[in-house]
Amino acid sequence: MTATMRVIRTLLFALAVAVAAAPAGADDANPAASAFMQSLGSKAIKELTDPALPQAERQARFHALLDEHFDMAAIAKFTLGRYWRTATEEQRAEFRGLFEDFIVQSYSARFAEYHGEGFTVTGSSADNAGVVVHSKIDMPSSEDVRVDWHLHPAAGNSFAIADIVVEGVSMAVTQRSEFASVIQNRGGVAGLLDALRAKNAQSADSSGAAAQ
Amino acid sequence: MLHSPVLPKAPLQPRGGLARIQRAAAWAVALFGLVLLAGCATPPANDPEALEAFNEANDPLEPMNRYFFELNYAADELLFKPLAGWYYVALPNFAQNGVRNVLRNVRSPIILANDLFQGETDRAGVTVSRFLVNSTMGLGGLFDIAARIGLDFHDEDFGQTLAVHGVGEGAYLVLPLLGPSNPRDAAGRVVDMLFDPLTYVGMFGGVDNIGLGTGLLEGVDTRARNLRTLDEVRKGSLDYYATIRSLYRQKRNDEINNGRTPEGGVGPGLGSSSDQQSARPATAAPLSTAQPAAEAPLVPRRPALAKALPFFIIKEPAGPLPATVDP
Repeated sequence: MTATMRVIRTLLFALAVAVAAAPAGADDANPAASAFMQSLGSKAIKELTDPALPQAERQARFHALLDEHFDMAAIAKFTLGRYWRTATEEQRAEFRGLFEDFIVQSYSARFAEYHGEGFTVTGSSADNAGVVVHSKIDMPSSEDVRVDWHLHPAAGNSFAIADIVVEGVSMAVTQRSEFASVIQNRGGVAGLLDALRAKNAQSADSSGAAAQ
Repeated sequence: MLHSPVLPKAPLQPRGGLARIQRAAAWAVALFGLVLLAGCATPPANDPEALEAFNEANDPLEPMNRYFFELNYAADELLFKPLAGWYYVALPNFAQNGVRNVLRNVRSPIILANDLFQGETDRAGVTVSRFLVNSTMGLGGLFDIAARIGLDFHDEDFGQTLAVHGVGEGAYLVLPLLGPSNPRDAAGRVVDMLFDPLTYVGMFGGVDNIGLGTGLLEGVDTRARNLRTLDEVRKGSLDYYATIRSLYRQKRNDEINNGRTPEGGVGPGLGSSSDQQSARPATAAPLSTAQPAAEAPLVPRRPALAKALPFFIIKEPAGPLPATVDP
């Protein structure tokens, strides 16, 4: 190897070291929250990702997990957005129920496709509403996926998940945007409730058919 | 065999690259014409709430966008998905990664130029090192050796550069075949062609449609990697168009901020405001006091307000902002 190549290699190596040694900001403002997420992640993986699990059972477990660990009241209110104010009590209650079923139907199928990707909590930080726990999911064929969990403090010194932000995309904001579009295009909150009812029925049918 | 009569050789015509730019300009003009003719949504005149929602969605061309969105879906079903499926099945994993790595390596000059325009000297250094390492030790970019020594890939484009310098995104656009975009990012694509070495290879090497070829390859590669995800999202959506619109804007926001979270911990807003996408959080700036907007839009447009809003706040029309939502 010529002297020039050696110099270049050393320079590149030095640059690489400098880049790698730059502060990654992986501090842990709230270790309790990080621990909570790590254990919840393991629990979810254990309970939900068994490919042999029947779909109904998986959905039931996911529903239980949602009720226990997610701040569904806050999430439902957020995703209805400005229309929460003008919705009646019955509409709000119905929306809350339909929304939860909608989430269960949409996401529970994804758990079946889990293939042992690693889930690691990398740190946490505080924000106005609570804590944000940073984590990453190691995808085998592509780069790691950044997932941030926004937690609200909950009863019993515990936490409730208020939002999941995947690579900068907030699930709650996306959902709210979609619902707002449905409300505008399909005749108000009543239209949204109809659409949710129809979609849930359709998903139930297709998952029932798939299970047979 | 008949040989053509010996003619003096014509001077090298700038075919490939210049034609690409001319075609892009032609597309822009055609789109503009379409906009004038049809595809504008009328803002709801009589309902102030609906008007607010309309402004927030920032999609005045929604009818035209939905049309192109469906068109793209048809093209996807008929062309991209079958190609991607074939690509996914025919090429082993390492070959697919090789394709992606080469495409990324060739893009390095564009990334470097935009890193520098944004003043990101660290990231520019990483781009240069990646290019050198991968082109030499990585055999022309086939292998991403640099990633193994801690130099991870990042992408940049001129649309992001414009955003960093304060250019707002403008209305949502769905471009035929290219998908979700906006006027700023679409213009950025055209500028990036100037920095793309392939443009000049096309121009002076006389290779036609080189941009189209690489574009198609990139599209197929990306589609193959997301083969099932998009289908699932579509199946589960009430309004797939609105979902993609929101996803796109938030993702762009994330790219412009280079993955750094804006301080205040607020979830990315609907990204419909110019200020939201142009504000690049450099260091932890002190939280500005929230200024209640006069009209109380749900997602405020001023960056200070956006940063100050805690997550899940529902803004009441008047008075100070509550800190959290009561469950």
